[in-house]
Amino acid sequence: MNLLKSLPVGLLATTLAVAAHAEDTVKIGLIQPLTGSVAYNGTTDVDGVKLALGEVNAKGGVLGKKVEVITEDGQCKPANTVNAAEKLIQRDKVVAIIGAFCSSATAAIMPVAQSNKIPLVTGVSSAANLTEKGNPWFFRATETDALLAKSFAKILVNQLKLKKVAYIGVNDDFGRGSVDEFEKQMSALGAKTVMKEYFEHGTTDYYTLLTKLKASGADGAFVSAETQDGSTLVKQKAELGLTTKVFGVGSWATADFMKLAGNAANGIYAAVPYASTMDSPKNQAFVKAYEAAYKVAPGKYSAAGYNSLHILVDAIARAKSTEADKIRQALHQTNYEGPNGHFQFDDKGQATGFTVVLVQLENGTPKVVAKNTVEK
Amino acid sequence: MDLFLQLAANGLVTGTFYALSALGLTLVFGLMRVVNFAHGELYMVGGLIGWALTAVLGWNYFLALVTVIAALGIGGYVIDQVLIARVRGQGEEPTILLTIGLSIFLANTALLIVGTTPVTVASPFASKPLFLGPVVITQARLVLVAICALLIVGANLLIRKTKLGRAMRATFQDTMAAQLVGIRTAHIYGFTFALGATLAGAAGMLLGSIYTVEASMGGVISLKAFVIVILGGMGSFAGAIVGGLILGLSEALWGGYVATGYVDAIGFALVIVTLLVRPYGLFSVRAERA
Repeated sequence: MNLLKSLPVGLLATTLAVAAHAEDTVKIGLIQPLTGSVAYNGTTDVDGVKLALGEVNAKGGVLGKKVEVITEDGQCKPANTVNAAEKLIQRDKVVAIIGAFCSSATAAIMPVAQSNKIPLVTGVSSAANLTEKGNPWFFRATETDALLAKSFAKILVNQLKLKKVAYIGVNDDFGRGSVDEFEKQMSALGAKTVMKEYFEHGTTDYYTLLTKLKASGADGAFVSAETQDGSTLVKQKAELGLTTKVFGVGSWATADFMKLAGNAANGIYAAVPYASTMDSPKNQAFVKAYEAAYKVAPGKYSAAGYNSLHILVDAIARAKSTEADKIRQALHQTNYEGPNGHFQFDDKGQATGFTVVLVQLENGTPKVVAKNTVEK
Repeated sequence: MDLFLQLAANGLVTGTFYALSALGLTLVFGLMRVVNFAHGELYMVGGLIGWALTAVLGWNYFLALVTVIAALGIGGYVIDQVLIARVRGQGEEPTILLTIGLSIFLANTALLIVGTTPVTVASPFASKPLFLGPVVITQARLVLVAICALLIVGANLLIRKTKLGRAMRATFQDTMAAQLVGIRTAHIYGFTFALGATLAGAAGMLLGSIYTVEASMGGVISLKAFVIVILGGMGSFAGAIVGGLILGLSEALWGGYVATGYVDAIGFALVIVTLLVRPYGLFSVRAERA
């Protein structure tokens, strides 16, 4: 009985000890989907963050303290992501948050960040309207669907000689957003839309969709999907003997995508903000470190996580403080060189100056076909 | 016409796969009155073991399938004897909570061990297109449909014709009477759950060779399986098959002629209609229960 009675006191003491210890670190919150349909993609982002965290702490951290990243699972769902953000802010007292993955989830925590005055950096959410909401605490260190479409629509239409295009997207704001943007850009260049269809996250059988694609007579198909959905789709496309050219957005230029899709991945074009075959020295060092840590080449989301943490820590260092407003101001002065180019933020918090590439998948490697710098 | 034939073929093939993936659930649901929310996770476990044996260790596909069946059988028996036995006879809610807990446990254990990367089971069958008139299909899918049919017939024979099957049905019709005639009902419960787990695991491994398997896929599988079971009638083998085929066909035709975006709504619309018109499903087995 005595033991039971003393348990709460003991727990309290432990909590206090943890709290006292925690004073010595700079805490950054990280919200990614670690379970659910995009868990795989969320985890690669966390891996990128961890790699960057190791580099930062090996150099002595920031402001003389070690950096601590507290990871929460947002499941790509707005409600869970808000809970995670509240927990990170109220209980863990983080100085800034990186996240979330899905645009809808990120949109849900933007007001939370604003009302609590916490800087929020996303390296993933690409729905164009996020940076148009006028939220001064929000920063996007990646491309938007509109930027990708603008960069590559012309090259795609000309290089693949597309006349009739089918658009296939995952049924959420990432899929619908990118389908709309690409359709707008490619129609303007004279490519006719012959099909526009969506599918749910985690769909396993694409035969119906592909049968329709075959019947539509399209000579090119635009697909916006993540690794597991996209790889299954292109694999089944080969099973049906379809020769329609495929180009896509999403995490396509990754080692796992090519492993899952096998030979069916050959010849596919992907417009991505990062490919492990980009030739900058900074990227070669990143790929080497990432492969040493995880035994697989980094993908789009690994780079996103890696950049997000470096950008944030860099801002805290320049702010010389963990005060939210000073970090926010320092983020606006960002001048960071990442594996995929140079990052700075405009007034709306949208990153510019970095490189996006069009790659063609060939025997397990993404070959860079064209690249473009995202201008203001 | 060619489009219709291809869509119908797609629907029938996926319908067969749906039927297989729902079979374990309908069995456990119908016979034991256990609403098994961990069904999708057992499917996932089967798929992941299948992947580990074929793709990582390089085992023969059929040897791996037998191993998966054995592993899930033993696992299912243990789950029943250690967990479900403790809440037996306490109504449906404790079992539901228990299986929900089990599903979270299994999914997260798989996340810890295998991680989130989607994987595929290595299959010896070709995935090159086969042209049958206007219809395209692959060898891998044809073989799978055949294996599915064998498993369905085999499980049905086990329940209808064998001594164990008769003991199962007796136990669930009237436990007391079954005990009086000397049936060890505690074991029968274990065997039934083991059979359900086996079917789920086998489905996971078989379908894992043409689709992908990942640790967090269980929820979607359970959801579809529930649709099929409610559609076909709880505990009915014929119901699961017809339910699966109806779902597969209607999804394919709706997707093909209307839009693929909201195809998942079809299943749930069917469930609502079924519950309104025939609340016990198309093939009700109420009469079997005392």
